[in-house]
Amino acid sequence: MSDLGGIMLVTLIIWAGLFLYVFRLDRKVRRLERGGS
Amino acid sequence: MSREGGFRAVWPWLLFAWLALVIWAAFLWAPAAANFKGQSSRIVFFHVPMAWVATVAFLGSCIASIRYLRRRNMEDDIRAEAANSLGLTFAVLATVTGSIFAKIMWGSYWNWDPRETSITFLLLIYAAYFALRAAIPDPERRATMAAVYSVLAFVTVPFLVFVVPRIYWSLHPDTFINTQGKIKMDSRMFQVFMASLAGFSVFAGWLYSIEVRLERIRRRRQQEELL
Repeated sequence: MSDLGGIMLVTLIIWAGLFLYVFRLDRKVRRLERGGS
Repeated sequence: MSREGGFRAVWPWLLFAWLALVIWAAFLWAPAAANFKGQSSRIVFFHVPMAWVATVAFLGSCIASIRYLRRRNMEDDIRAEAANSLGLTFAVLATVTGSIFAKIMWGSYWNWDPRETSITFLLLIYAAYFALRAAIPDPERRATMAAVYSVLAFVTVPFLVFVVPRIYWSLHPDTFINTQGKIKMDSRMFQVFMASLAGFSVFAGWLYSIEVRLERIRRRRQQEELL
């Protein structure tokens, strides 16, 4: 794999991790808004 | 599931796919710009949208702060705080990506270039906003002082972001909105750039909404504890 391909893969992994974190946080906030814990 | 509910469930995944596509295109589809060392120009697809989000967030905070000073509604204070928090985060990210670019192009992460100096001032000004908030225990007084500070802080933004770096000679490449008013970008680069700008804007909007909702819950719980 080329250097650029490698950097792209690392950036994609960072984006996937960040997205999942924010997605889960959003769901948690929705639960809290509905009065859950 | 209603159409609205369906879209609400799907749009985060569309955003994920959109920005994943942007990342692929930024590295493997768009060409590297001429006159830049190696592949360093590709950072523009991330660095500029981050700076854009930071500037818009600071503007949003200024507007929310003015609204707070006029209406004295705590909802506006929550919005102003969330926008400044988002703006500061993205300003830090823009500084880090700019620093990586500087290392590749000029051999050093930090050169005290006019743009690097002005972003340092901007970061300090907005970091002080949170120091100010933390220093005032009374919520009403904190909201008022923070709103006044946020409006004054935004007055510096056009100077530090747009004016100062253009007055002095700078290592920084010509910005996208250059003095000639022309777009100097390959068409593929331009498409990826605009797609990235759109993706980053939606992602920032999402983060902003989460932050506002979380802060509302936190303050509501604080009030319930006091009762």
